[in-house]
Amino acid sequence: MSTKTKLVEKNGVSKSPTKSILSRALTSNSEWPDKEEFLDVIYWARQAIGIILGVFWGFLPLKGIIGLALFALINAGVIYFYFTNFQSVEEEEFGGAWELTKEGFMTSFAGFLVTWIIIYSGLHYQPESLT
Amino acid sequence: MWADTLLIVFISICTALLGEGLTWLMVYRTEKYQKLKTEVEKQSKKLEKRKEAHGDSLDKQHKKKIEREEERLKNNNRDLSLVKMKSMFAIGFAFTALLSMFNSIFDGRVVARLPFLPLTWIQGLSHRNLPGNDYYDCSFIFLYILCTMSIRQNIQKLLGFAPSRAASKQGNNLFGPTPQFK
Repeated sequence: MSTKTKLVEKNGVSKSPTKSILSRALTSNSEWPDKEEFLDVIYWARQAIGIILGVFWGFLPLKGIIGLALFALINAGVIYFYFTNFQSVEEEEFGGAWELTKEGFMTSFAGFLVTWIIIYSGLHYQPESLT
Repeated sequence: MWADTLLIVFISICTALLGEGLTWLMVYRTEKYQKLKTEVEKQSKKLEKRKEAHGDSLDKQHKKKIEREEERLKNNNRDLSLVKMKSMFAIGFAFTALLSMFNSIFDGRVVARLPFLPLTWIQGLSHRNLPGNDYYDCSFIFLYILCTMSIRQNIQKLLGFAPSRAASKQGNNLFGPTPQFK
């Protein structure tokens, strides 16, 4: 009995998304029957934001605690705006706003630091031995 | 600067792929692992649903049922980590050797310039084996760790080897108190 209901549920989930995940992620107020899919969207959006901000901060260049704080603010802010205003999902369904805000944060922070450090030291720093 | 930093990114991509490849060979493709993994995922989802449905009710029967299921999940989780453990040890040893090799190659070399001053307890890592007191200098190990943190997890996720959220959430609950069932 329970396997039967599960099968139906699975089929229901796999049939319903007629649009791809990407197009649903870019359309406001999309339906997210599978929680994992939405969390994945948040995760990958975070990674992209991390790398893009890292590249920007490196080119500018932004330095010090301001760079770190601005990253944390923009990263959390954009994602918060995305799920509250753009997608208007029920936060409670995903375990609260905090769960969504921290989804993939550390990985994105590491990616941000790597791109920031690489571009900053490549563009704006000459080792003393070479000058 | 570019050469060193890009080389480190390349090294960490290679080691992440190598690590995942080895784990796939020794763990992920085995039947025992796959069976346990699907079992744990199924149970975690079921448990989560049941908790949601009866979270507030203090019905003794439900409580007992949930406790029994938690116990089963705990056992399966333990078996799963045991299966992983052996290969993790082997890979750990191999990677320690690799890391010490890279460490000696980059010994005393400033690989990058940090755009921020790291916290004092990170300075030991970011300035490891570097001469002088300029804490903006970045050592190999710091950049390598950062690269691995981001690249390894993303590769795991892309290849579908990362543990599912439901399972890790339930797994965490097992070690801490579960407030609704005190």
